[in-house]
Amino acid sequence: MIATLAFASLRRHRARTALAVLGVAVSAAMLLDMVMLSSGMRESFRSLLLSQGFQLRLSPKGTLPFDTEATIRSADSLVALLRARPTVAAVSPVLGGQLHFPVAGATVTSTALGVDPAVQGDYELVAGRNPAAPDEMVANDAVLRALGRSVGDTVRAASGYDPQLRTLSGQRVLRIVGRVRFVYLALDQRAAALPIGTLRAMNGPGAADRASLLMVRLRPGADVEREREALLARLRTVTVISTSEALKQVDERLSYFRQLAVILGAVSLVVGFLLVTTLVTVSVNERIGEISVMRAIGVRRWRVVAQILLESSVIMLAASPIGLALGLVTARWLNSILARFPGLPERIDFFLFQPSAAWTALGLLALCGVLAGVYPSWRGASQPIATTLRQEAVG
Amino acid sequence: MPGDTVVVAAIVERRADPAEIARGEYRIRLHLDHLQTLLGYGDRVDRFAVGTRDARATRDAVARINSAAYGFRAHRSADVAVETSRTFAVVSRFHRAIGTITIVASAIFLLCIMLLKVDERRRDVAALRLIGCSSRTIVGSVVLEAAAVAVLGSLAGIGVGGAASWIVNYHYQAVYRTPLRFSIVTGDIVLLAVSLSLVLGIVAGWLAARRLVRTPPLALLGR
Repeated sequence: MIATLAFASLRRHRARTALAVLGVAVSAAMLLDMVMLSSGMRESFRSLLLSQGFQLRLSPKGTLPFDTEATIRSADSLVALLRARPTVAAVSPVLGGQLHFPVAGATVTSTALGVDPAVQGDYELVAGRNPAAPDEMVANDAVLRALGRSVGDTVRAASGYDPQLRTLSGQRVLRIVGRVRFVYLALDQRAAALPIGTLRAMNGPGAADRASLLMVRLRPGADVEREREALLARLRTVTVISTSEALKQVDERLSYFRQLAVILGAVSLVVGFLLVTTLVTVSVNERIGEISVMRAIGVRRWRVVAQILLESSVIMLAASPIGLALGLVTARWLNSILARFPGLPERIDFFLFQPSAAWTALGLLALCGVLAGVYPSWRGASQPIATTLRQEAVG
Repeated sequence: MPGDTVVVAAIVERRADPAEIARGEYRIRLHLDHLQTLLGYGDRVDRFAVGTRDARATRDAVARINSAAYGFRAHRSADVAVETSRTFAVVSRFHRAIGTITIVASAIFLLCIMLLKVDERRRDVAALRLIGCSSRTIVGSVVLEAAAVAVLGSLAGIGVGGAASWIVNYHYQAVYRTPLRFSIVTGDIVLLAVSLSLVLGIVAGWLAARRLVRTPPLALLGR
């Protein structure tokens, strides 16, 4: 009976109920987006860091990976030392730099990564193969487009300029052997990778035995944090960053979006709550006579309360699927806007859908629906029966 | 070299710089030659800043430098500013998108409230109809009331918005250690908010009033 009365009451004012459902759906969509924003960005970054299986990153002391142009000295001996540790499965050294390709009187410049192709974790092969010889390189679509070359072509490349001699320095002829997608670089960023030894040689004696970053993959079962602390205690010239440490840094840098998500999520909930409370209160006020009659013929107080709570919950829950669909569409739109952040890795999503986000939003909405019905149900159930009936009868 | 003594010559306060909104914990300024020596950088710099007389001189200088220079390029400061403010442009577009969603939600909320408010007056409207008031007069009075409510709500909203803006600036200026203002309530924004609220209020009031005057007075009274 409770459900029948609740649905009858909602059906009586169809336009009002439809508007309330629509209003709550927009609030629910916003709430879902904000829950996705607050957790998705972090989860997306964590997935990105772990996508290649490297749990630790070593960068020059006091810096984050590729935050500065500083490099690690004696990188080869450090790699050997790390590989000798029983907990370490693989170490991938990376040297950052630039490549300049002279093309038809102009120069195309791209980011260059010197890697060990056998253990690299910076790119995924799309076509072709990894560099196997010192004069081979792989490049992403942005470089191939700018050069007008494809896999199998050769290209002249340099690592810098000599302004006094007005020539390119560190020149090599490289063969493009693969088309790749760089995991940590922006979509439109031109980038190429070549063996680390080749890039060091092109950069000159100053780059010998240098690396910008060492990525470490641990054996299964190894304690990442314990290994990080052990390396930190032993190695004085590098900063050792685990995925959780990197996430802390990201949290700090992107705290603005998290705070925005919390504030807007809370505002959405409050708006939905107010809307449903107002509607149900007005609805109860209109039916105060009916409620008094129900009480007078013996309907218990808790049944009246349950009916009104059900009404508010139904509005909230009916709006949830619409809000979910609307939220996913708007999340995609908002994500496409934020994806244009300069230098943002292609794979980072600010709005990452996870079932937990949907459940969180749904749980909050259901709770809000129940809370929104508390005041009107208390008002409906606590009216003095005789007085109310007399007032309603007199009009 | 390790062990050398460094004299701190001054401690400076950072000024507003749109390119440096991110929190920089430590920052040290040195004479160029000192830093070059310290880093073993040789006779190299990352960039030059060149002052010119006017816009035409800037254009000429950029063209001449780029035709003669090898290994570096000259850019106008305005172009550099556009490039470095791309982050702000993205954040601004994101805020506009969020604003659009908020406006849609507010519009529905306002419409609902107005419908309820007018619906509450059904007995009064029925009485006015029964004593001979025209539908036009009733719709006009309801729309006027809706407009008054919208204006009053807008005024309260301006107050709330101003306070929220102050809190946002207070918080984020402290977080990012910058005197930049993150939220500014301008005349245009106030005008947009008031106009929107007024239009939505009037439309909602008109729709609700029309519905009421089309219902027979006795039905409105529940007879």
